[in-house]
Amino acid sequence: MDRAQVQKELEALAAEGKPAPVPEEKVEVEKEEQASEQEETAPEEEQGKDKNKKKGEEEEEKPRENGVLVLDHRARGAHLDAQLNGDQVVAAAEIMRRAGLSVEAVTGVDWLKENKFEVIYDYALYIAGEDLYRVVVRALIDRDNPDIPTISGVFSGANWHERETWDLLGINFTGHPQLTRFLLPEDADFHPLRKDFKP
Amino acid sequence: MSRLAQSQYHETFDINLGPQHPATHGVLRVKLTMDGEYIVKAEPVLGYIHRMHEKMGENRTWAKFLPNPSRMDYLSAMSYNHGHVALVERAAGIEVPERAEYLRVIMVELNRVQSHLLWFGAFLLDLGGFTPLLYAFDDRERILDLLESVTGSRLTYCYFRFGGVYNDLDDEESFKTGTKEFIARLRSRMPMYHNLVTKNIILRKRLEGIGPVSADMCRRYGATGPVLRGSGVQFDIRKNEPYSAYPDFDFDIPVYEEGDSMARYMVRMDEIEQSMRIIEQALDKLPEGPVKAEKVPKMIKPPKNDYYFAVEAARGTFSLRAVSDGTNTPYRLKIRSPTYSNLSLFEEASKGMLLADALAFMGSLDLVIPEIDR
Amino acid sequence: MGTENISSVVPSSLVQFAPLEKLLNLGRANSLWPMTFGLACCAIEMMSAGGPRFDLARFGAEVFRPSPRQSDVMIVAGTVNKKMAPAVKTLWDQMLEPKWVIAMGNCAISGGPFAFKGQYNVVEGVDTILPVDIYIPGCPPRPEALFEGIMELEEKLTGKRRWPRVEAV
Repeated sequence: MDRAQVQKELEALAAEGKPAPVPEEKVEVEKEEQASEQEETAPEEEQGKDKNKKKGEEEEEKPRENGVLVLDHRARGAHLDAQLNGDQVVAAAEIMRRAGLSVEAVTGVDWLKENKFEVIYDYALYIAGEDLYRVVVRALIDRDNPDIPTISGVFSGANWHERETWDLLGINFTGHPQLTRFLLPEDADFHPLRKDFKP
Repeated sequence: MSRLAQSQYHETFDINLGPQHPATHGVLRVKLTMDGEYIVKAEPVLGYIHRMHEKMGENRTWAKFLPNPSRMDYLSAMSYNHGHVALVERAAGIEVPERAEYLRVIMVELNRVQSHLLWFGAFLLDLGGFTPLLYAFDDRERILDLLESVTGSRLTYCYFRFGGVYNDLDDEESFKTGTKEFIARLRSRMPMYHNLVTKNIILRKRLEGIGPVSADMCRRYGATGPVLRGSGVQFDIRKNEPYSAYPDFDFDIPVYEEGDSMARYMVRMDEIEQSMRIIEQALDKLPEGPVKAEKVPKMIKPPKNDYYFAVEAARGTFSLRAVSDGTNTPYRLKIRSPTYSNLSLFEEASKGMLLADALAFMGSLDLVIPEIDR
Repeated sequence: MGTENISSVVPSSLVQFAPLEKLLNLGRANSLWPMTFGLACCAIEMMSAGGPRFDLARFGAEVFRPSPRQSDVMIVAGTVNKKMAPAVKTLWDQMLEPKWVIAMGNCAISGGPFAFKGQYNVVEGVDTILPVDIYIPGCPPRPEALFEGIMELEEKLTGKRRWPRVEAV
C-alpha cells in the first residue's frame, strides 16, 4: 500500500471541502493558522506536538480547521489524522477501502459547549509483514441536526459501529440499513452518552 | 446450499436462540430465520449485558477506571488491563521501567494461554465433547494458581498500574520454577490434546470447511485476532505495531490459509505454544530494577487531545480511544473490543449454513459477551 | 428445624406430612440441580467450580441443566441489566416448585461496581426481581465461596449442616 498516496488523496479531499459552508467563527479565528496547517505534512511531527501542548494551556481553544495532520505515532497512537466535512466521510471511506485498510471503530464525541458532535472513524491496515498504519478520519457536525452519511455501504463492519453510535449518542447516520436500538432495550428513549443526559 | 436456492418456494420460520442458551456462552441472542435446518438469516441481538463501561469511563478519574477493563473481557483481563494503562501512560507521558514491562508480558501471555485453554474446553463442550473441558480446566487452574500468587486474584486482575505494576514478585525463584514446571507440563500434554481432539474424525468433520471467512471479509468487517489469522493474514499487533517489551522476544505468528473453523482452532492451539515461548524468554531475561515509575502524578491530567492505543488480546485487537479535555477525568473513553467486530461478520457468513454448523462456527469465533456489549 | 420452617421454604399444599417433607428436603438438599445460566465473570468461576479441581459433584450439585424446567436452583452469576431482567424473570417463572435462587457475586447482590450515581442500565440487585435465598459476595466469588453458598442452602433446607463450619483464622 502506498502511504503517501493515501495522504495525498485525503489532503485533496480536505482541500475540496474547504469552500463548503464551514461555521463562520471557525473561518475567522483560524485564517492565519489555515495556511500553516495545510503545509503540515511529514516533517512536522514535533511541531504538532508543541501545538497541542500550547492548546492545552490556553483557556479558549480554537477549533481545528479541516485538513490532514501527520501525527507522532508514539505520542498519539495514529499516523494520519484527517478532519473533513460531514458529507465527505463516504469518499474518505472509499479511499481507505481502495488502499486496503479496515474500519476498526466508529465513534462519536459530544462537544456540548461548542454544540457539535464529532464523529471519529478509525482505520487500520491489517496486512502481514507491514507495519500497522492507522488513519483517523473525523468530522464535526451540528449537534442540533446530527446527520452524517453512513459508510456501511463501503465497509460492512461499520454497520454495527454506526448503530451503536446512534444508540448511545443519537448521531443519525443517513442511509443506514437498520438504525434501531442495539445495546439498550428496544423501548429506550434516551442517548446515554450525551453530555446533557440525565437518567 | 442448493436446497437454499430453492427455498423461496418454501415457508420459512423464525426461532430465537438465547438470550439464555448453553451454546451462546452467555447472554447473546440470535434471531434466526430458518428454512428447515438451514439458516436464511441470523441476526445477533446484543445488549443483554451492556454495563455502561464507556459511561463509567467518563464519570470517574483515570485511575478509578482501573478495575473496569478486567470486567469487560474476564478471560483476557490482563490484556485489557494492559491496554488501559498503556493508553494512559501514552497520554500522560509516563515511562515504564523495563522490569515492569517484562512482568506485564509474562502475565499477559500466561493469561492468553489460560484464555485459549478455556476456549478449547468450552468450544468442545459446544460440539458435544465434555471430557476435553475437564483436561483443559485442570491445566487452567495451574495457571490461575501462578497468577493468583502474583496478583492476588483469580480472574479479574487489576495488577497493572500507571507506570508499572502493583507489586514485584514476592518470591522470584519460586515463581520462575513454578512457571517453568507448568510450561513443561503443558508442553507434554499438548500432544495428548492433539491426539484426543485435533485428530478426532468427528471434530474434523464438524469443523473442516465450515464457516469459511475470507481475508477480504475480515477486512470489510474489521475482524482481527485468530479469525483474521485463520484467514491467511499474518497480522498481530504484537508484531505489526510493537508495544511494551514484545520487540525483545522471538516468536512466530501462526497463520492458516483455509479460513474455516478448523483453521481458527489450529491458530489458537499454535498460539499456546508461541505464548509459552515468550514466557520462557521473558523469565530468562527478566531484568532487575524497579517495577514502578518514580514520578507518577497522583492526579493524572493528560494534555487536551485524543489518544489511541491498541493491544493484542486473546481474541484480537483491543483498542481504546481517550479524549482528554485536560482535566482529571476523561472527556470520552471509547472502547473497541475485538469480538464486536468478529461477531458482526456472523450474519453474512452464516447464510445458508446448517444450524448445528452455525453453532460450531459461532464457537470458533470465541465470543465473550460482556466484552461485546461493554 | 421444625415444620413451620419447612412450610416457609416449600409452598404449602393442603395436606402436609412433616416427616415426609423432611425426607424429601433431605433428598433435595443433596442433589440440587443448578441451571446453566451464566451472565458474566462469575459464570466462569461457576464453571471452575464444576471443573476437575473443585468438583462440585462432591456436593451433589454438579448436574447443570440447560432447561429451567429441570432445575432446582438458579445461580444468578453476573450482572442483570434492564434488557435481561424480563428474560431472567421468565426463566424463574418457568422453573418448577420448589425452587431457590442464589445471588452470586456483587453484581447480582447490589449491582456491584456498576451501581453508580447516574447509571441507566443495571438492575441494582437481583433481589428486586427474584426472591433470593443465598447471597455470595465477591467479585467474582471463588469456587469455594460458591460451595459455601450451596451448603448454606442445604442447611436452609434440612436444618443441618453437612460439614462443620470452618472458622476464619
